[in-house]
Amino acid sequence: MKTVTFRTEVREQLELIGQADIIVGIPSFNNARTIGHVVRAVQAGLAKYFPDHKAVVVNSDGGSSDGTMDVVNNTAIDDFNAILLHHRVEPISKIAFPYSGIPGKGSAFRTIFEIAEALGAKACVVVDSDLRSITPEWIELLIKPVLIGGYDYVSPLYHRHKFDGTITNSIVYPLTRALYGKRVRQPIGGDFGFSGNLAQFYLTKDVWESDVARFGIDIWMTTTAIANGFKVTQSFLGAKIHDAKDPGSDLSNMLYQVISATFALMETYAEVWAPVRSSKPVPTFGFEYTVGLEQVNVNTERMLNAFREGLGNLGEIWVDILGAGDFSEVKRLGALADEEFHFPISLWTRVVYDYALAFHKKKLPVEHLIKSITPLYIGKTASFILQAKDMGQQEAEAEIEKLCMEFENDKDYLVTNWK
Amino acid sequence: MRNFLDLILEPLNELFTKFKEFVPNFLAMLVILIIGIFVALIIKRFLVKFLAAINFDSWSDRMGFTKIMRKGDLWNKPSAILGAIVFWVLIIVTLMSSMNALQIPAIDNLVGQFFSYVPRILSAAIILIVGYLLTGFISRATLITAANSGFHYARILAKATHTLLLVLILAMVMEQLNIAPSIVLAAFSIIFGGIVIALAIAFGVGGIESARRMIEKESVPKHEEGEKDEIEHI
Repeated sequence: MKTVTFRTEVREQLELIGQADIIVGIPSFNNARTIGHVVRAVQAGLAKYFPDHKAVVVNSDGGSSDGTMDVVNNTAIDDFNAILLHHRVEPISKIAFPYSGIPGKGSAFRTIFEIAEALGAKACVVVDSDLRSITPEWIELLIKPVLIGGYDYVSPLYHRHKFDGTITNSIVYPLTRALYGKRVRQPIGGDFGFSGNLAQFYLTKDVWESDVARFGIDIWMTTTAIANGFKVTQSFLGAKIHDAKDPGSDLSNMLYQVISATFALMETYAEVWAPVRSSKPVPTFGFEYTVGLEQVNVNTERMLNAFREGLGNLGEIWVDILGAGDFSEVKRLGALADEEFHFPISLWTRVVYDYALAFHKKKLPVEHLIKSITPLYIGKTASFILQAKDMGQQEAEAEIEKLCMEFENDKDYLVTNWK
Repeated sequence: MRNFLDLILEPLNELFTKFKEFVPNFLAMLVILIIGIFVALIIKRFLVKFLAAINFDSWSDRMGFTKIMRKGDLWNKPSAILGAIVFWVLIIVTLMSSMNALQIPAIDNLVGQFFSYVPRILSAAIILIVGYLLTGFISRATLITAANSGFHYARILAKATHTLLLVLILAMVMEQLNIAPSIVLAAFSIIFGGIVIALAIAFGVGGIESARRMIEKESVPKHEEGEKDEIEHI
């Protein structure tokens, strides 16, 4: 498989470094405002928890024009005493350079994997460059399970508001759990730890010219690790606070990216997931604690109107995908008043499975197919919000657990119709 | 007496001579026809089997061709129908070739015209098929994008897009087939121009209040529409 050709200065830096135990990768694109904090947290974490290990911080940049790479190169912790480090701290190497390949997070990660392979790294971590809640402890929690616990893949576990992460909560987590039998709570978290062996395995896959390179890297990494029998765990990291993107901006595009990547992986690993019939928890590292979270304002009236508009406009497409029976149930929901609105979890499960089947049978062009689920997803989300608005975090999580069990119990429907 | 007999026998001799010249051509025509029918049957059989092997019927269902056929009261499988179309095209070609064997100038002329028209038929068929597929794709993309943007009239917009594109494709096909080109051009101009003028009048005069409400609704900044969603979906 073709490997990435490093620039001369990067190759020289790698030759100078020679070997490293730990690689911390930070993909970036115009993150000058936030990456400094991330780099400092990473440096502090490496210094505090892995002082005897040779570590390299790799900033794989997508061609930033705001000086992101300069910030990385110039960032350092001025006073290690402040983080209670009194022993001599070895300098941590840093490499910051633009990656090559198709623009996207996947290409950035590929470069990080290549560097990990070149330096013979035993453990790697990738973190987002816009994190505001990252602490030095994240580095310990994502690396120690690999270095000491013998795990190959560490997924993050965040404490999130009950209304956040709805694509994960209503689609990706229940589906991935039912398919592959592992309860990885946040399979598209964005911050991961993995072994050098797994990084090398990732590089053997020929996906770097596909949508994986553009936007599907997170779910691809998680699914590839689980489906290929690597030892998977998760670590509790606390709250994930990052740069606020415009919420709901291009929601259909977000759904398309996440769901198309998930469905494409179903095609690749059909023989792996078909026989799986139940799920097991994965070990969780870290001390779970409750985090105070900001209130999330939602407009369920607007969401329900969006669902009804979708029903009116996309009904012909939905009946073709869902079948007459399920479509008539969806149609019945459209007639309900806002206070009575409830999207049954059994119906939602079949909707997701029907879309997976339609993807498999190529009923429509992929982008049209998946973007047509947007009003259905909005309706389901509104239903969950109405149901959970007076619930505490644990009660809301129990509702998500019920949805996951529904996905697992109804899996025969998917398997039978897949052939 | 002899002259009388000659008068009777000469035309008969001429007829017999012409018949003698015609018979081999006629036999050649029959042979070409029989072989052509036989070959057409074999090709049809293999084609139908091949189409079944490549799942042509499900592709046709997905592309919407089956739906069109059902609307046209054709209830056979799409592969069978395509097989039948190919069969009859081959029969027509065989017939034309066999008629060529008769070596009658008027028929030769007709056959020549037919074969020179065949490329136009093929390119018109390609324009129709590709145009139909593109029309479906574009109108569906319009529908989904408009629906997801919250546009209330997404279905109407998609239908209008579909109709306009179909009219354009049909005009291109008719122009390719050289069927009454000036009438087609005039009809196309009238239809397209008429639609545009009708829309302008409908909105500008008849639906001025509705148009104003629609434009105002679409141009209102999102935060004025009510409470903003703060959910992080991923």
